[in-house]
Amino acid sequence: MIGQAIADGFLTGGILALGAIGVSLSSQILKFANFSHSELLTWGAYIALTFTMFATAGAPIGPLSFGWSLLFAVLLAGVLTGVLAIIVDRLVFRRLRSRHANSLTMVFASFGVALILRNLVLLIWGPEAQYYTSELQIATEILPGIRLLPDQVFVLGLTIVLVIGLHLILKYSRLGMSMRAMAESPALARVCGVKIETVVRWTWVVAGMLAAIAGIFSGLTVQLRPEMGFNLLLAILTAAILGGSGSLFGAVIGGLVVGLAENLSVLVIPANFKAAVPFMILILVLYFRPQGLLGKSETK
Amino acid sequence: MKRSIGLLAGAVLVSAWMPAQNAQAQNAVSCPVKLGGILPLTGSMGPVGKRISDSAQLAVKHINEGGGIKGCPVEFILRDDQGQPTVGVDAAKYLVEVERVPAITGSVSSGVTLPILTSVTVPSKVPVVSCCSTAATFTTLAQEGKTGGFFFRTLPTVKTQAYASAKVAADRGFKRVTMIYINTDFGTGMVKDFTKAFNKLGGQVLKTVAYNENQPSYRAEVNSALSDKPDAVFLVAFPQDGATMTREWISLGGTQNLILNNALRTPEYVKAVGGKFLQNAFGMDNASTSGPTVESFKQSFQAAYNASPDGPGIYNQYDAVMILGLAMNLAPDLSGTAIRDAMRKLQSPDATVVGTGPEEFKKAIALIKDGKAIRYSGATGPLEFDANGDVSGAALIWNVKGDQLGTDQTLTVEEMSKLIKQIDG
Amino acid sequence: MGIVSYLIFFAIVVSILSIITLGLNLQWGSTGVFNAGVVGFYAVGGYTYAILTAPGRPELLVNLELPWILGVVGALIASAIAALLVGLATMKLRGDYLAIATFGIAVTIQLIALNWEGLTGGSLGMTSVPRPLSGFFETPFTYNVFYLCLSAGFCLLTYWALERIVRSPWGRVLRAIREDEGAAIALGKDAATLRLQAFVLGSTVMGLAGALYVGFIGFVSPFDFVPIITFQIWTMLIVGGSGNNKGAVLGTLVVWGLWSASGTLISKILPAAFQTQGGAVQTILIGLVLVLTLLFKPGGLIGEEPTTSRHAG
Repeated sequence: MIGQAIADGFLTGGILALGAIGVSLSSQILKFANFSHSELLTWGAYIALTFTMFATAGAPIGPLSFGWSLLFAVLLAGVLTGVLAIIVDRLVFRRLRSRHANSLTMVFASFGVALILRNLVLLIWGPEAQYYTSELQIATEILPGIRLLPDQVFVLGLTIVLVIGLHLILKYSRLGMSMRAMAESPALARVCGVKIETVVRWTWVVAGMLAAIAGIFSGLTVQLRPEMGFNLLLAILTAAILGGSGSLFGAVIGGLVVGLAENLSVLVIPANFKAAVPFMILILVLYFRPQGLLGKSETK
Repeated sequence: MKRSIGLLAGAVLVSAWMPAQNAQAQNAVSCPVKLGGILPLTGSMGPVGKRISDSAQLAVKHINEGGGIKGCPVEFILRDDQGQPTVGVDAAKYLVEVERVPAITGSVSSGVTLPILTSVTVPSKVPVVSCCSTAATFTTLAQEGKTGGFFFRTLPTVKTQAYASAKVAADRGFKRVTMIYINTDFGTGMVKDFTKAFNKLGGQVLKTVAYNENQPSYRAEVNSALSDKPDAVFLVAFPQDGATMTREWISLGGTQNLILNNALRTPEYVKAVGGKFLQNAFGMDNASTSGPTVESFKQSFQAAYNASPDGPGIYNQYDAVMILGLAMNLAPDLSGTAIRDAMRKLQSPDATVVGTGPEEFKKAIALIKDGKAIRYSGATGPLEFDANGDVSGAALIWNVKGDQLGTDQTLTVEEMSKLIKQIDG
Repeated sequence: MGIVSYLIFFAIVVSILSIITLGLNLQWGSTGVFNAGVVGFYAVGGYTYAILTAPGRPELLVNLELPWILGVVGALIASAIAALLVGLATMKLRGDYLAIATFGIAVTIQLIALNWEGLTGGSLGMTSVPRPLSGFFETPFTYNVFYLCLSAGFCLLTYWALERIVRSPWGRVLRAIREDEGAAIALGKDAATLRLQAFVLGSTVMGLAGALYVGFIGFVSPFDFVPIITFQIWTMLIVGGSGNNKGAVLGTLVVWGLWSASGTLISKILPAAFQTQGGAVQTILIGLVLVLTLLFKPGGLIGEEPTTSRHAG
């Protein structure tokens, strides 16, 4: 039982981590907690769905439940979701930034944006649950007592690749350096010749792409619903804060902690209380480490 | 602030003499006749509520094609309650006070229907017919005289479903059953009644796992339910979450002996899970299995929406509206009390049976004009309300054959009451 | 006649929601405490009222059947205690962190209400909760008129008390903390304690609203306290104008009015086939109002009044 719960925890945690990295990036560079981030997950998942409906499915790849068309849809949905994030930024957040609105005004605006984006999904794609494929896979026992689906292994593997890739980009590319400079001090970054709006745009693209991928993974392993992002929102924000905003690996660890806690908790307490578990952990952690697990203590 | 208080005080004064005038106005029927509807169109119950509202709209269409109510066309005023009690109560108050609807159909969640009754419709004496609120509380309230007889529902209580499922489970030789249930009054009620009945019939409920709606994944719950390797699992859920959990249950190697609740009797659920995994599954529903009235409803729903009417509440909602339409025609006037009393006059055993669809409705109006007694046999078969507004009905056990929903067996009204006697003692 | 009756009902709901918004305005508008768990304290108040006053049933743990006014007092005390406990655990957090923590607490409170059947009636909730003085009124209409006086009376009382408070020296210190906590601390103010005080007082006011709501509906259910209500209350405060008690009340009126009116309009004008999409349009509208307010009228409909000290001229 425990083995299965841990395996499931890693899977949930991986999806949460992809979402949490996006939240963490935007809170460092854009300086606010984006409550509409979860809607980018939903949009990404639905854009990919639309694309797979038009494309010929293609034969499933090896043991996986989907064909090449979904992989291509991942790319396309990632890009389009990034574009959507930029459009929202143009319409709402950039205007607020140019007025030097404080960060909580941005948070409230993101509440409103979330309401609009979520209900647009409902209008466009309808309320029913949808699936990328109606084929049901039977899990194989990879270790005694631990069953995993090929899709799940694929999702975990791709998540690890994405995180490492992102780490390398942030560390070594020019864009990554500009982003880190912005996170440290926007004023200083500007003096050093970093183009603020360009960095902001790329931040949205990266956050949007990761969100779309997390959304597609969630849709692939569970199902697509207009509220799917919203239902993940609190877990994602919790993961981002738990890890300590400001660190890539912090967000990953935060995601894994939340994922594992949810899955392990039901072995100890009634499942009715599962939804409260991540918060209890969050409040405990913040009580002793207000800056999060890996965050640097506030010195500003 | 001050000015608005002045306005309100004025309004209160003005309205003091209004009620008398209002009572007079009710005798003359003015066209169109309004009918209120409160259903969850958005929120987590949205997908279920949307189909139910389609069914209500179809019934209204049939009533209008069949001659309307007292010679007037019916105007159906539908409000969204979002599954939230506050919003539902506001909608009810609006329908009763502003639109002055003589009757309301709704809502789905018992948690929404209850406050609508207690704070709006019962004090205002407006009949409410619900398609889907199954909580036992309504029966208790009715017994305590707190509904004033103004509440009716067209589906059996949780008890009928739970007992019938327990019987079939025992007949199939299941001894150890695990339950996964939605953490609402519906789910908890089902757990209590099923456990009671199944124990009495010699079985054992190993474990009950509650799930809350709107979780991003139900893997943890499924994993926890898997632990005891039960003979069968009883899943009490709505189609979307239900499909997710069944998929996870089966892919993690859980038993394919599934016991399902009525809400899962939808083609969407079967399609999402895959028919081949559901060959050993069975579920309970109340609809009478066949008969011309049921078939005719199926065909007209299929024709109107190009979708199957198999789904939670769809048959029941059609009946809720149709029976209101008949009662409103039968009632001497459109006051709440008259409609309430007329509802119970539609079930005398020797009366002429009227069924579904506009033609039958036309026939019913003619019979009423001639002063003949009628009895409604609807999309869920013959409908009979007891003193508490509950229907007692035959139970239908459904299954999946190939990719299609099928019928396994039926338990007649007599068999059901025998079963209830056996379990309740 | 019907319209009047509905308007009275509408006014009751607005006055109850206004009390919550006023409580939030003390926390956020005056002190800058980002409480995203509004609905939790509203629930504590509502449930305490129901538990203390409900008719006895063998399956319930508490069967006190107290008079309604004691139910209201109990609701105030319980929500104050809950806020004190929450505040002690979270008040050192800032901004978004506090928001997530309090949000989590509201979710937890709702889960307790949903699952602790012996105390709260579980998912069924509790029915037949006594409505204050309902025995004295013949018709639902006269009772609602009475209840409007009651809830509007409490709303005015809250308004008046909070106005006094924000203009008192204590209120001025709260604003100082909001504007520049560091400076306030440098001046020797105990910022942490003051924030906690404002948080507890504001949450107690929310508990009052919960008691009034349950007393009005006569029924309590865990599904009445879903997280979305917190967002709705925030929208009301921001649209009306945070930092201003008049704005809080006006915002409640405007947002709830817009909500009800758009629902009516949709049920009237949309053809049957599109009715089900109406709910989504309603929510989009609320989102738009929030975003447009922040973009074009950042202070809300009535912004904060400049409060300069009398001595500063």
